[in-house]
Amino acid sequence: MTKIKPFYDGLVLGGGIAGMQAALDLAGQGFEVLLVEKEPTIGGVMVGLNKVFPTLDCSSCICTPRMAEVAHHDRISVLCYTDLVRARRRNAGFEVILRKKPRYVVEEDCIGCSLCELACPYFAPHEFDQGLGARAAIYIPHGNAIPQVPVLDPDYCMLDGNCARACPKNCIDFAQQAEELSVGVGSIIVATGLRLTPMGAKKQYGGDRHANVMNPLAMERVQSSNGPYGHILRPSDGKIPRSVAYVQCAGSRDQSIGVPYCSRVCCMYALKQAIMIRHQRHDTQVTIYHMDIRAFGKGYEQFYRRAQSEGVRVVKAKVARITEVENGDLSLRVELIDEGGRVADIRHDLVVLSQGTIPGWRPEGALPLEVDDDGFFAIPDIAARPANSTAEGIFVAGVATGPKDIPDSIVEAGAAAMEAAMYLDRVRESAGEMA
Amino acid sequence: MRYEAPEKLSEQRRNGDEPRVGVFVCHCGGNISDIVDVEKVVEQIRKRSGVACVTTHQFCCSDPGQAVIEQSIRERRLNRIVVAACSPSLHELTFRRAVARGGLNPYLFEHANIREHVSWVVDDRKEATAKAGRLIRAAVARAARLAPLEKRRIPIHPSVLVIGGGVAGLTAARDLANRGIRVRLIESTPFLGGRLAQLYKIYPTGQRARDVIGGLIREVSSNPLITVYTNAELVEARGFIGDFHTTIRLVPRGATERCTDAQAAINACPEETVDQFNLGLARRKAIYLPYKGCYPSIPAIDWRNCTRCGACLEAGGVGSIDLDEKPREIVIRSGAIVIAVGLNTYPPRYGEYGFGQFAEVITLAQMNRLLDPTGPTQGELVVNGRRIRRVGFMHCVGSLQHEGVHKPMRDGRINQYCSRVCCTTTMHTAVELKTRWPGVQVYDFHEDIRTYGRRHEGYYDKVCRQGVVFLRFDPLRPPRVGVDPKGEWPLVLRTVDRLTFGEELEVPLDLLVLATGLVARDMSKLVDLYRCSVGADRFLMEVHPKLRPVEMATFGLFLAGSVQGPMDIGESTAAAAAAASKAAALLKAGQIELDPFVAEVDTSKCSGCRICLQACPFAATDRDEAARTAKINQALCTGCGTCVASCPCNAIQQRGFRDDQVEAELLALLEAEEPVGV
Ligand SMILES: Cc1cc2nc3c(=O)[nH]c(=O)nc-3n(C[C@H](O)[C@H](O)[C@H](O)COP(=O)(O)OP(=O)(O)OC[C@H]3O[C@@H](n4cnc5c(N)ncnc54)[C@H](O)[C@@H]3O)c2cc1C
Repeated sequence: MTKIKPFYDGLVLGGGIAGMQAALDLAGQGFEVLLVEKEPTIGGVMVGLNKVFPTLDCSSCICTPRMAEVAHHDRISVLCYTDLVRARRRNAGFEVILRKKPRYVVEEDCIGCSLCELACPYFAPHEFDQGLGARAAIYIPHGNAIPQVPVLDPDYCMLDGNCARACPKNCIDFAQQAEELSVGVGSIIVATGLRLTPMGAKKQYGGDRHANVMNPLAMERVQSSNGPYGHILRPSDGKIPRSVAYVQCAGSRDQSIGVPYCSRVCCMYALKQAIMIRHQRHDTQVTIYHMDIRAFGKGYEQFYRRAQSEGVRVVKAKVARITEVENGDLSLRVELIDEGGRVADIRHDLVVLSQGTIPGWRPEGALPLEVDDDGFFAIPDIAARPANSTAEGIFVAGVATGPKDIPDSIVEAGAAAMEAAMYLDRVRESAGEMA
Repeated sequence: MRYEAPEKLSEQRRNGDEPRVGVFVCHCGGNISDIVDVEKVVEQIRKRSGVACVTTHQFCCSDPGQAVIEQSIRERRLNRIVVAACSPSLHELTFRRAVARGGLNPYLFEHANIREHVSWVVDDRKEATAKAGRLIRAAVARAARLAPLEKRRIPIHPSVLVIGGGVAGLTAARDLANRGIRVRLIESTPFLGGRLAQLYKIYPTGQRARDVIGGLIREVSSNPLITVYTNAELVEARGFIGDFHTTIRLVPRGATERCTDAQAAINACPEETVDQFNLGLARRKAIYLPYKGCYPSIPAIDWRNCTRCGACLEAGGVGSIDLDEKPREIVIRSGAIVIAVGLNTYPPRYGEYGFGQFAEVITLAQMNRLLDPTGPTQGELVVNGRRIRRVGFMHCVGSLQHEGVHKPMRDGRINQYCSRVCCTTTMHTAVELKTRWPGVQVYDFHEDIRTYGRRHEGYYDKVCRQGVVFLRFDPLRPPRVGVDPKGEWPLVLRTVDRLTFGEELEVPLDLLVLATGLVARDMSKLVDLYRCSVGADRFLMEVHPKLRPVEMATFGLFLAGSVQGPMDIGESTAAAAAAASKAAALLKAGQIELDPFVAEVDTSKCSGCRICLQACPFAATDRDEAARTAKINQALCTGCGTCVASCPCNAIQQRGFRDDQVEAELLALLEAEEPVGV
């Protein structure tokens, strides 16, 4: 693992695609960067996606080399499984206190051989596969994780020492403690990304009760050939679904659950997943129930039309409620706009709720940043300086400033890196003038 | 026979360089291994001469995958590497870096594409497996003969040329200059500011557009590192990354810095013409300033309408106007170029929703001029002499077009794409309208409402509460505009409304605002000069939307803002800053590293015949007159191989693509097939 220096020009908070790109762009301009990620691996949401719209590139193929580039960059240090405790202004920069959580594994010595994982007899739901598969109580998050170092999950570990005995490097340390570090940084880029609204947010959809009502990230994993099943099956009984429904705006544009805004990517990922289902199972019907299809990006409308021509059914309708019927099938009560507002009960054997996007992290005092009433970081001058936060020297990128897709997140990360670089120049110049 | 294949390899062996090729076959998480029988391929390749080991991995490009390559190089003393995976355009660089970390020269690497060329295009498992095997053994044959190469390092001219003086170009220029980089910005019109200057208020901040652009122009014009050229046309471009030479023609402005009483000069001008800044809603003189506070604040003469009568000359005072100045050409050198020429609004055709037929049908951009208190009506809602009471907004004019429903543009293509900004602009404009004139009735005709961005949905909610009536039409049966049979209102719109379940409605209006889409400018000159790639939507195309979203395929060219596709202001400035960041990284490095695949001349074989001088499309070949042989400029050579093919003496070889290397590869490819399967 990297040795942490006492000072960096930039701290990047969050190792998703936006954070990685910001780190690369800042380091590319000659600055020293520390990337801090709270999870045991960098990669964020993107590394768990199957293919990405509108090109249908395989997501890993674009994301994992980026991860490797970050990890091998001369001017980037990476700290995973680390929280930001607080940042305080010092001179023109910040003093940041970081808390490295215990992996119960000595990172410097670990060779990533997975023998501990194979020796562990205790299993828990696999986070990377959205709980659909299982992982051991000590585990490397996934095959493309960086670093390839396991974490021990104390909630599931029985402390019987199987892993420690299997480890050829003797690096399991049950007594490991969290470690606090203090680092000086010249500027901060916040790229803390997204979470989805909870599955139970809309009671009438029963996302938390019905086995075959899925979250869209789980669908990404199910469609991935390196996912939990290797291809599309429904969770309750492993049957191949014959009729899949997408319920759009299941957690967005909805005052009642506190997400009045549009989540911006759901139309497109629903179309993408629908196309992928049709590719894998030519005879499976896919219906997308929606109010508006917001295919606004470059090549997106064309992608929407392609989905329709590949047999994806796109139906203007409001879904009022989802009930479970026999065999774990689901009945959707819908108002069909184009059929004179007829109300119908339509049966599907798998339903995906296109949930809303909410902020991945709230600073709660750790950083002197203001958030807007939508919960995302406030940008005072969103037209002219879209990467500048409310605090001098702190910049923001990616979904941390509102829902957006990968191309927009990447571009914004470049902007945040540019703003940070200009800020660092300015600070140095005035320090030079004072000296 | 021209080839020297056998000797080369034996010579290599005599020098103690016995090939030990390591082959890594990628599953690509199933993308490859679902179609190609990877194990079978491995079995075949293992038996080839020179192959020291064959390994497979789920994702060779991931960090663990790369680590396997590095480790194998060290542990198994490999001296040549083949990775069989996706397209080299995606990951050749990734693997070269891994090879270098493993301690080998990065050019002792060969990439076999068994995804785009095999698993994604061949359905039959047996055929796919055979083809993958063939491609890999060809790569092995070639790899065995590879020689270490060094990158070319060339110095970079420490300045950037920014083309376009709208919000994106200005942002890129400001950002680069703030990082200490010399910038030259060229703008084709006489004034800076682009489209943004014509808008009234912008979403989602409600700021006055002119304040935003004005602030930016002040920063740019006061920065000593930036030189601005207005009225500048592109003439010619030469050079390459690190050293571009762009010739521009500066059209005289007419008025000079000594023009102290601009208004007197303008008033004196007898020629009137359509005011394009006000989108045809007003008229202006042939010498003009588009708006108060524009930059530069010196008026410009519109030569097409100027009769050179000299009236302005007398009124403006001595030396204020120069009617005889000739255009001049200058050459701008730069290490990189940022293209930020923006876009146009879709021009509705005559009769499209009544446009041109009725004065009461205008575009959204024109509506913005009407709402502006400094605009042609001083902000009054008056059209054709009538105070407006019922306004309709028509979405998707020139966007989301359908074959058979919409007439194609001049290039024969329709605009399938969504113009991204018009929905929110419409909502934002409707809010302004309902807030200033609550009594005005507003109708909105749409297919979808795409208020996707941050705070956009808020405008949609707000107009709903303000009583705007929404009607949804079927894109294959768009509404029709006609005259009111009762003669009470200037217009009537007939539509089938999907929200009221297919009811046929007639909506009388006294103003119809067309939310016209955004279209690419005519960029043929630029595209020609810099060999830009253009998409089917006519916008410039980035290399890859996720890997290199602000770069063009030609190294050293960057894209900023809506020249790439419809974007709003915040999105354009973010893209411009991202482009600036890439350009800054390039310039700050001080020198550029280029691939070493250049041509080289074996002077002992060269007859000095000059054929290669004519063949080279990049003027990289020259003749050493003293030695009477050809020579090649390493910085200019792009490694295209044309000179190699043209040389009658076989005196030119291209590094990394020597005849013996290519021949070995071809022979392996054409080898008789081993029986596959049982
Ligand atoms: C189901 C689904 C499908 C999608 N499909 C596509 C698609 O096909 N194409 C496309 O363009 N987009 C797609 N998207 C959108 C895409 O996922 C996002 O645009 C992108 O991943 C955002 O990247 P990010 O870096 O901003 O956020 P994230 O990926 O969320 O990364 C944020 C990172 O920050 C970390 N973090 C959070 N808080 C802290 C903290 N306090 N300290 C340290 N680290 C922290 C997180 O752990 C995470 O690693 C999809 C989204 C979903 C939900």
